[in-house]
Amino acid sequence: MAQRLVLRRLLSLTPRTLSPQGPLAPHGRAFSTSAGCRNTFNVQDGSDFQDRVVNNPKPVVVDFHAQWCGPCKILGPRLEKMVAKQEGKVLMAKVDIDDHTDLAIEYEVSAVPTVLAMKNGDVVDKFVGIKDEDQLEAFLKKLIGA
Amino acid sequence: MSPPPPGQTQLPDWDGLKLQVRTLIASHRVMIFSKSYCPYCNKVKELFRSMHVEYYALELDVTADGPSIQQVLAELTNQRTVPNVFVNGTHIGGCDSTYQAYHDGSLQKLLGDSKDTEPYDYDLIIIGGGSGGLACSKEAAALGKKVMVLDYVVPTPLGTSWGLGGTCVNVGCIPKKLMHQAALLGQALQDSRKYGWQYEEQVKHNWEIMVEAIQNYIGSLNWGYRVSLREKSVTYLNSYGEFIEPHKIKATNRKGQVTYHTAETFVLATGERPRYLGIPGDKEYCITSDDLFSLPYCPGKTLVVGASYVALECAGFLAGLGLDVTVMVRSILLRGFDQEMAERVGAHMETHGVKFIRKFVPVQVEQLEEGMPGRLKVTAKSTEGPEIFEEEYNTVLIAIGRDACTRNIGLETIGVKINEKNGKVPVNDEEQTNVPYVYAIGDILDGKLELTPVAIQAGKLLARRLYGGSSTKCDYINVPTTVFTPLEYGSCGLAEERAIEEFGKQNLEVYHSLFWPLEWTVPGRDNNTCYAKIICSKHDNNRVIGFHVLGPNAGEVTQGFAAAIKCGLTKELLDETIGIHPTCGEVREGEGTA
Repeated sequence: MAQRLVLRRLLSLTPRTLSPQGPLAPHGRAFSTSAGCRNTFNVQDGSDFQDRVVNNPKPVVVDFHAQWCGPCKILGPRLEKMVAKQEGKVLMAKVDIDDHTDLAIEYEVSAVPTVLAMKNGDVVDKFVGIKDEDQLEAFLKKLIGA
Repeated sequence: MSPPPPGQTQLPDWDGLKLQVRTLIASHRVMIFSKSYCPYCNKVKELFRSMHVEYYALELDVTADGPSIQQVLAELTNQRTVPNVFVNGTHIGGCDSTYQAYHDGSLQKLLGDSKDTEPYDYDLIIIGGGSGGLACSKEAAALGKKVMVLDYVVPTPLGTSWGLGGTCVNVGCIPKKLMHQAALLGQALQDSRKYGWQYEEQVKHNWEIMVEAIQNYIGSLNWGYRVSLREKSVTYLNSYGEFIEPHKIKATNRKGQVTYHTAETFVLATGERPRYLGIPGDKEYCITSDDLFSLPYCPGKTLVVGASYVALECAGFLAGLGLDVTVMVRSILLRGFDQEMAERVGAHMETHGVKFIRKFVPVQVEQLEEGMPGRLKVTAKSTEGPEIFEEEYNTVLIAIGRDACTRNIGLETIGVKINEKNGKVPVNDEEQTNVPYVYAIGDILDGKLELTPVAIQAGKLLARRLYGGSSTKCDYINVPTTVFTPLEYGSCGLAEERAIEEFGKQNLEVYHSLFWPLEWTVPGRDNNTCYAKIICSKHDNNRVIGFHVLGPNAGEVTQGFAAAIKCGLTKELLDETIGIHPTCGEVREGEGTA
């Protein structure tokens, strides 16, 4: 999809970053104190992925998504919510496949959303497409328990 | 055999000498039969030294049996002179021939066959990841070749850029047709009330929602191409490719990192970019089609400069979305197309709210106010007199033509000739440039059609000829096309002017008719605008050589006719074909010549 370099910079300077005091509103990209956001983070680059996902002692679900993908916008928040319910036993990493194409290609992502379950650096489970809350809960529990 | 050559008294052992010569040729990668005082021999040795290629030179002036060896060579190669050069057993010739082979790459190719050299990194490198480039790469990879594609979008003056897929996918056919559809839906909503649909709300159009939806779809296409390249094992680099020496390119990515790659064969598929006017304010304040399809704000009151299909299609859908649109035309509409049809296209747009300013060119664009959109003041001059035109617009869209991206990719370094006037690349009927290992496809071809399906077909067939043993060439005759203006114009074959030029008016029979699409009757839309014209060649059995239709779904209608024309459609066959009713396609042309 097209990008306008100027606008992207503009959008990144929104009130969120410029807000004066008080806790900032919970948002996927900003720091926040809400439990859900502590367990979820956006992958910054390849080495960040290595540190926080591959080398993480805790199991991590990796949500490969794209800005242009409608179903991703539904699955993302739903998965975040279910991850939060697990009270820190599993973490969630979000990877935008256009920003991190190498990573997406390395993990053979074709369609989005693709969610990988990773434990000790290995992919132990995965699914593609939307799932409902019960299915997600089962997926996460299996990852934690196994 | 002949008497012993001068300088020798003994009768030579011809068989022994022939064996000696053949052994020398076979056992040295580069074998030069030379004479120590010969300047041309030195030139040739110099060439190989500059290429860091080792050669073996036999100086015939100081070798025993030198003259006899020269005789043997003469019989072997029809060449009496020195230097007499062989590469990997293949006879090249003298100094001129060797240099020629160096310049056109065949020398390097011969050298490459040796096990001692570095083989090329790739069988095929394609510069440009658009319709042509991607089709060619996938076909070549499917035939088992090692292929690389480079695609890089130089941002527009306003900073717009896009992903893999080329013009068609990102800033051409795809978003254009979607926006055209958005405009048609607006018209359909208007018609719907006449068909009984009742709704209270005022119907408005939200530009941002449309652009986001279209860009999301394009994003999925960009990703789809990346996945399909990966699946076919084609290496993709998001880098700018330039030739630095024969068979070698330099690839620079967005961060400035440089890599080098070599290949046996190259395909140029770099496409085109919009041309600017070259007047004050054009690059700072005006947009082109490269920017329009991802514009994050509604363009508002728009001036479209140009009369190409890009200009008319854009003006058409912008007006269809409810914007105030003016088209500034320097001379004629749709240059290269049938002019009667072009004028009808323009006339329809005019009766439906698009303003036309004919025979004027902009000379200056000033910014009155910044914003999204801002306010711009355009000053234009008449092409026929001193008249000046001034007007304020929110957006100025320049669509006066497109230039081939061939000037800054190092073509001069490897000797590929381009047409200096338009930057396009002349090729033979196998898409080969003047340098044998470099081919070109798509919009950059000189004298060929600028259409996605043509580029795709040319790319696929080229790959099959190179690697699949095929000899099928791309057929550029009778290619159908459609202009997606509010009233669509589809055509296949010759424009009437071209037909008259080629066959003479007296040899043509032109059948034409106006028609009223059934769907337009109820809402009371124009009953004298849709039009179809068929041009037949009288002395060729009334063969259909030109088909033109102006009406809804012209693209769909034309596609079928294109196949019929390829099969040699004649007027008689057309008349014998029973129509589908009620459709626009069934229109029977009336008798009589235009």
